Amino acid sequence: MSSLHLPQQMLLLIIEKIINNALALNINHNNALRDLAGKTLTIKLSELNFPITLTANDTQLLVTSIDGESDCQLFANIAALQELQRHQQLTELIKQDKLDIQGDLKVAQRYASLFENISIDWRTELAKHIGDVPTYKIEQFSLWLSAKFKFAAEQIQADASEWLVHEKQLAVTSDQIEDFSTQVNQLSQRLQQLESQMNQLEKTLSTDPALAAANNKGQTVE
Amino acid sequence: MSSSEQAPVNPKESSDSDNTTHFGFQTVEKHEKESKVAGVFHSVAQQYDIMNDLMSFGLHRLCKRFTIDASGVRPGNTVLDLAGGTGDLTARFSKLVGREGKVILADINSSMLNVGRDKLRDQGLVQNIEYVQANAQYLPFEDNTFDIITIAFGLRNVTDKEMALRSMHRVLKPGGRLLVLEFSKPEYPLLDKAGKFFSFNVLPKIGKLVVNDSESYQYLAESIQMHPDQETLKAMMEEAGFEQTTYTNLTGGVVALHKGYKF
Ligand SMILES: C[S@@+](CC[C@H](N)C(=O)[O-])C[C@H]1O[C@@H](n2cnc3c(N)ncnc32)[C@H](O)[C@@H]1O
Repeated sequence: MSSLHLPQQMLLLIIEKIINNALALNINHNNALRDLAGKTLTIKLSELNFPITLTANDTQLLVTSIDGESDCQLFANIAALQELQRHQQLTELIKQDKLDIQGDLKVAQRYASLFENISIDWRTELAKHIGDVPTYKIEQFSLWLSAKFKFAAEQIQADASEWLVHEKQLAVTSDQIEDFSTQVNQLSQRLQQLESQMNQLEKTLSTDPALAAANNKGQTVE
Repeated sequence: MSSSEQAPVNPKESSDSDNTTHFGFQTVEKHEKESKVAGVFHSVAQQYDIMNDLMSFGLHRLCKRFTIDASGVRPGNTVLDLAGGTGDLTARFSKLVGREGKVILADINSSMLNVGRDKLRDQGLVQNIEYVQANAQYLPFEDNTFDIITIAFGLRNVTDKEMALRSMHRVLKPGGRLLVLEFSKPEYPLLDKAGKFFSFNVLPKIGKLVVNDSESYQYLAESIQMHPDQETLKAMMEEAGFEQTTYTNLTGGVVALHKGYKF
């Protein structure tokens, strides 16, 4: 599965950019982030062979596939999260072994609250940025992500006195959006270039006997 | 074509003995290699980031992110980004270890360090980063200092790799891990050929065009060929004392990430 490591990183990078772009839109995120700084939430979906770990610092939320120690771990599968979407109780799902949380529940709640605040339209955002990147589990991802926001909403409703919901929004500067989409576009363009370059090289190497011979020469070291 | 010059597969056995070592495909006195490598990186420092993106189509960024994820870094950790150059890994580590953590960007080359320092400062990353000019072979840190050490695209430039690995082992805390990201041996022959073609024909030309320095990029291409393959590097790490050593091939083995623990 080694070939999937980089597409996976690409996807995490895009998710991270989408989240931070949304954070930049919302003036209230700063406080929420500061509260979360240094806290990690790891989400393990049985359908994915890598974890998704959220790490907050004062200004950003980082999305990685770091495994291991985490302040809070959430284990679930997509079906369970869909049930959550149908307003089933969290505790009920935990009882049925469909969802499990280990560690500091407060951390999960705070992340949930942060996501509730910044409300991202994942389907649209992912579609915008992913373009031609292999459609690796994207559909499941977006299902999962939308379910996460339901989860967030429920958590906040359940504990409204503790979790202040800020609704004030400030416009992000157009520069930030531009900068962000250029970066993502450039990266996917480079990946495409690489692919066509490799195809071209493959063609050249298999059709040009002189080149093939020269390259063979460089390889005969054993 | 320079790739037809012969490169021994296992530089460790073939010539690292005695007082000579490799500088690309050339055999040079060990003491000469350092200054020659220094020359290369002084020369490329200013344009290093741009060239990296051009040469790898941006893929080096994903490889570096993968390395950081594989390190299992946590807020509060102390990290050494060795041969860290212009600080790509340091930047992300700094965000992940947060206020309580610390990242040391160490490199033998002052030009690379300066470019790195300016870049990270421009990104507002100042709080938890220190800069140290150091040779990987003689790390100027106490024993058992770091939770994580990374060396990305750096080890192949080091004169005495074994010595450097031992030095890294010494400064890691028990339970700490080393991650070596480096060019390696492609898993598929066609990819190997394509890589060689790219390294020896395209890379120096891009070097010439963009920074008017084809020689430095010729050295980089040659040093990629001379670096030990996956199994050899794994054995070298084990020899230096690392345990549970594993590697992951990225982009079909063109690049590999080795990981080992100190217990
Ligand atoms: C190709 S650059 C990699 C920089 C950075 N890690 C990255 O991945 O972008 C290699 C770096 O290794 C450094 N280097 C070479 N020999 C070294 C040594 N003996 N000790 C420490 N750094 C060294 C060079 O100065 C250069 O900055």
